[in-house]
Amino acid sequence: MAPAPELEAIGVVKRYGALLANDHIDLTVESGEILAVMGENGAGKSTLMSLLYGLQRPDEGRILLRGAEVRFSSALDAIAAGMGMVHQAFKLFDSLTVWENVVFGAEPRRGPFIDRRAARAQVESLTEAHGLRVDPDAIVGALSVGVRQRIEILKALYRRARVLILDEPTAVLTPQERDGLFAVMRRLAGEGRTILFVTHKLHEAMAIADRVTVLRDARVVARMRTSQTTQSEIVRAMTGRNVDLQISRGVAAAGAPLLEVEGLTVAGAGAKPLVEGASFQVRAGEIVGLAGVAGNGQTELVEALTGLRVPDKGAVRVAGATLTARDVAAHRHAGLAYIPEDRVAVGAALGADATDNLAMGFHRAAPLSHRGLLNVAAMVKRARELIAKFNVKIASERALAGSLSGGNLQKMVVARELSHEAPVLIAEQPTRGVDIGAIEFIHGQLIAERDIGRAVLLVSAELTEILGLSDRILVMYEGRIVADMARSQASEEKLGLLMAGRTAAS
Amino acid sequence: MSVLANFGGVLRAPPALVAIGVAVLVGGLLVLVSGADPLQAYAQIVVGALWPQNLPDTLNWATPLVGMTLAAAIPLRGGMINLGGDGQLVIGALVGAVAPLVAPLPGPIAAALALLGAGLAGGLYAALAAWGEIRFRVPMLISSLLLSYPAVGIVSYLVRFPLRDTTTGLPQTAMVPDGARLPILIGPLNMGVLMIVVIAALVVLVDRRTVIGYELRMRGANARFAAYGGVALGRQALGAMFSSGAIAGLVGAIIVLGGQFRYIDDALLSPAYTWSGLMAALLAQGEPAGAVLAGLFFAALQTGGFAMQRETSVPRVLTLVLQSIVILFLAVRGGLGKRER
Ligand SMILES: Nc1ncnc2c1ncn2[C@@H]1O[C@H](COP(=O)(O)OP(=O)(O)OP(=O)(O)O)[C@@H](O)[C@H]1O
Ligand SMILES: [Mg+2]
Repeated sequence: MAPAPELEAIGVVKRYGALLANDHIDLTVESGEILAVMGENGAGKSTLMSLLYGLQRPDEGRILLRGAEVRFSSALDAIAAGMGMVHQAFKLFDSLTVWENVVFGAEPRRGPFIDRRAARAQVESLTEAHGLRVDPDAIVGALSVGVRQRIEILKALYRRARVLILDEPTAVLTPQERDGLFAVMRRLAGEGRTILFVTHKLHEAMAIADRVTVLRDARVVARMRTSQTTQSEIVRAMTGRNVDLQISRGVAAAGAPLLEVEGLTVAGAGAKPLVEGASFQVRAGEIVGLAGVAGNGQTELVEALTGLRVPDKGAVRVAGATLTARDVAAHRHAGLAYIPEDRVAVGAALGADATDNLAMGFHRAAPLSHRGLLNVAAMVKRARELIAKFNVKIASERALAGSLSGGNLQKMVVARELSHEAPVLIAEQPTRGVDIGAIEFIHGQLIAERDIGRAVLLVSAELTEILGLSDRILVMYEGRIVADMARSQASEEKLGLLMAGRTAAS
Repeated sequence: MSVLANFGGVLRAPPALVAIGVAVLVGGLLVLVSGADPLQAYAQIVVGALWPQNLPDTLNWATPLVGMTLAAAIPLRGGMINLGGDGQLVIGALVGAVAPLVAPLPGPIAAALALLGAGLAGGLYAALAAWGEIRFRVPMLISSLLLSYPAVGIVSYLVRFPLRDTTTGLPQTAMVPDGARLPILIGPLNMGVLMIVVIAALVVLVDRRTVIGYELRMRGANARFAAYGGVALGRQALGAMFSSGAIAGLVGAIIVLGGQFRYIDDALLSPAYTWSGLMAALLAQGEPAGAVLAGLFFAALQTGGFAMQRETSVPRVLTLVLQSIVILFLAVRGGLGKRER
């Protein structure tokens, strides 16, 4: 008899009320194998991962670890059994340092005390061994999403997980970081560890996974070997149709500058400013891409542009109105819509329903309110329309935002901000975590925004997205804008070098 | 997810009801251990609170308690907390007691001015805590509580010395003139009940149907989301704390002008309306309609407690224990029951 598979799910069912999130799922992973789990937004991938990891109990079905049935009553049981998970939405303590987060719950001890020195040293060597660049002493709350992701991965590695579950781990990584992660994943698989890996990116699945399991509408619809399949076959399994993966767009006809930034500086805690003298313009009818490795000041720059942070120097003008040091409401009023990079922490209120979430920013004016009184019927109508237009998968417009899958939450945030029809749109990682059908749709919407004469600033860690959509590209490195070039002059290699702080040999 | 992040409507029924059930069981056991009959004790509570002839007393007790519940619920709805209700209450009460004495105006006008002044004074004092947080980053949780002590102390001093009614030996102010007292409705009930009903209706309406209420709810669900949507958090905190303090101040004036007709030192704080109100607001997670229900429930429990103490050997502390168990149970559930997602 062949040895039992490392991890096996048999007939697993999970319901949320009337909604069937996992419908008799069978799944097998051998040790040393990397399995990609793919599917459209809301197909049930995260649900399945949380069942395997013991965060929730299946309503039916069994889960076997090395042939023995397991019933985890919490993630602690799963961790003890040698499983590790990196979540789609991170679970870190903001006020603690990086190393404290990594060792939390499994601290090295000396007598009754935590051996802080050993803990810190272990974390540091782990970051070096895996090429995950993080300062172990940094406070997590101050770090960007990209860096937090690395900490999550470190956490699982620190616990020496035998089975590693990664729910969209690459969504926030730059190409270099992603390659680094893949190297780590290969090494871990080589040591006989098992990796389950959720992704929306076909090339990633093809590059790293041995097999792909595709979910659609809560069911497994295909199981394939990457060596014996093609990207378009996976797409067809996921969506049931053919999807055009190429971004097609016309030429820009840029007009007057709508977003003007002059000498913007944001001081940091240390001597070095987080943003230093940033100057650029985004004109009507133009998409400007802002490239850069996460943590080089993009987040702070965008916060200063949107009024969430007061810049220390410099000026910001939106559609001609000078907004320096004005509050968020003034920015929004002047005509600025903003898709934030962190949909959970900033872009939505998970404990509020979709109607309330979709009203934010529109609630002070007709038709949603009149003289300070809300028009609840108009709010509901608006929510229904946006949910339909953006194809958000949700039980009803009164369902909590927290019940949405990651990609559907993203679609909700994008829907709300695009419907502002504001002259300036700042889109930070607009397609993070959405499926390929939705990427196609959101890209189409961004181009449509441009074509009707709006100014779009696109901040993305995804170089293909930057190169595919932008008319002009800025590169940010250590708080400064180090390059401003037309799309025609940019290439992946050139941007990669600039992002790493080297000047392109022109 | 935040415990406060619930918009399901009134009193998220299951957890609150379960908590009450648990409290009744544990309280029953306590009574049993102490050698009394729990069924009889509970029967006395119910009769004492809800028997028709006792109802007006319950409502009278509920008036300040529900008022303080609303005062606590408003900031709580936005994820903030006002622990300084006592201070705002006594400031309002003092203004209510002194204004009719010093202003030579016809009674009803003096009463109206006294109520207005009480609300304003309580509101401004509470807003001070918000200002401390905005300007100096002193957490409101701390500053509101710390501001309460000097207010209570100073008011007590004023009542004992400069403002004391020297014709009596007690630490109390002179009686307010008849005309400035709140008109009686029926029995022990005065206009104050109506005022609290109106305020409660207003607060519920604002919460559900206005832009201000929406913005406060969103802040409670996720403050960063509210800020991102253009809500000025500082101004909002000032507004929420002002409203909260204004209601507390008004409650103080209602107690004075409706029942005691003078400021009697300690009489306002000994029933601990602030803390019962805070617990009721917590029970409903800041949702105002639920908070009012919870406040009424606690008021009934407490009035029933007096009856129980009269009729049985069980001291009325039991009802306060029940109240605490309810909150404790909910807090534990909220903390430990939190599932990762
Ligand atoms: N706590 C919950 N309550 C109600 N419904 C839920 C809950 N969690 C998930 N769902 C629903 O279950 C379905 C599957 O969600 P899941 O998060 O597993 O999707 P996913 O495949 O991970 O999608 P994505 O690619 O967008 O992350 C969705 O329709 C989602 O709305
Ligand atoms: Mg997911």
